[in-house]
Amino acid sequence: MRKFILPLTIVCIISGFFLAFQFKIQTNTTSFDAVSQKNANLINVIQSLEQEIESQEDQIAAMRNQLNEIQNQNNRGKLQDLQQELIRAKINAGLTSVIGKGIVITLDDNKEGLNAAPNDDPNKYIIHYEHILNLVNELKIGGAEAISVNGQRLITTSEIRCVGNLILINMSRIAPPFVISAIGSPKLMLESVSMGQLELLKSAQYPITVEEKEELIIPAYKGELQFNSAVSQ
Amino acid sequence: MWFILPIIGLILGIYLGSNITFQLPAIYIKYMSIAVLASLDSVFGGIKAVLKNNFDGTILLSGFFTNALLAALLAYLGDRLGVDLYYAAIFAFGVRIFQNLATIRHHVITNLRQRKALARGEKNE
Repeated sequence: MRKFILPLTIVCIISGFFLAFQFKIQTNTTSFDAVSQKNANLINVIQSLEQEIESQEDQIAAMRNQLNEIQNQNNRGKLQDLQQELIRAKINAGLTSVIGKGIVITLDDNKEGLNAAPNDDPNKYIIHYEHILNLVNELKIGGAEAISVNGQRLITTSEIRCVGNLILINMSRIAPPFVISAIGSPKLMLESVSMGQLELLKSAQYPITVEEKEELIIPAYKGELQFNSAVSQ
Repeated sequence: MWFILPIIGLILGIYLGSNITFQLPAIYIKYMSIAVLASLDSVFGGIKAVLKNNFDGTILLSGFFTNALLAALLAYLGDRLGVDLYYAAIFAFGVRIFQNLATIRHHVITNLRQRKALARGEKNE
């Protein structure tokens, strides 16, 4: 064995390793840029914050349950009337989950339409926050008593807001498909929505289903409720 | 056949490199490209030395590591200073690779010609 073979082999191994490794990195991250790396970090931050929000919402729910138990304990005499009033007020405020007959509207982006016309403006094929806002509005006109979108109960302070390609409701991010549940008279609500936004969406060929349900459960509002400026007059 | 073992080494290295699941952070990709050039430079430099009969294993390996380190240092300094100094390393390695390749080519061709001439000479005799 000549003296140069071993060092040359070592250098060759290292060189081959580097070459293949670099090649792999380049093919893996052809569209790599600093922005996407930064975005990945931001996504992590958002996800951890969302987990925190979730755990705190669970805490709020547990506290409210505890409060309910305490309120239900002494139901004697005059207190009973007050308690019934309290329960009514809670239902009105959306702090209890409610059950009743109603309708469920499911909307999704018009993916088929977008695939058929890939050069067209994609904005014409996705569900925008206005669509949901209009539908919710029309459901309210139709006498909806409790409404939730993807499990987010709508209360007096709920917002429906566009954040890029997602929608923000009760400060939670909501993605398609959107399931709007509403408790109320199914007939009246259907009439109300089918004269407006629902027909527009259907004519634009969005995949929409509307179901009437005898027993529909709408969850309670999970977020915080704090009035700092408003006091009862 | 002296070049079989290095070629097997090269294939082994490629196999290792393409099977590794380690993910390199984005900032170090630049340093990685310099390392690739430094190792290629060492390979061609080594082959040249073998052909010229002045091969020294210690010089080859130490040259490889100091070159790679110096290049990485330059790239790092360039990052700090806002000057793309790593282009200097890429340029230097590139030029050296071409020079080494040219020397190897000269050597191989002259060797082949000499052999042909020798063979012809033997036939004539």
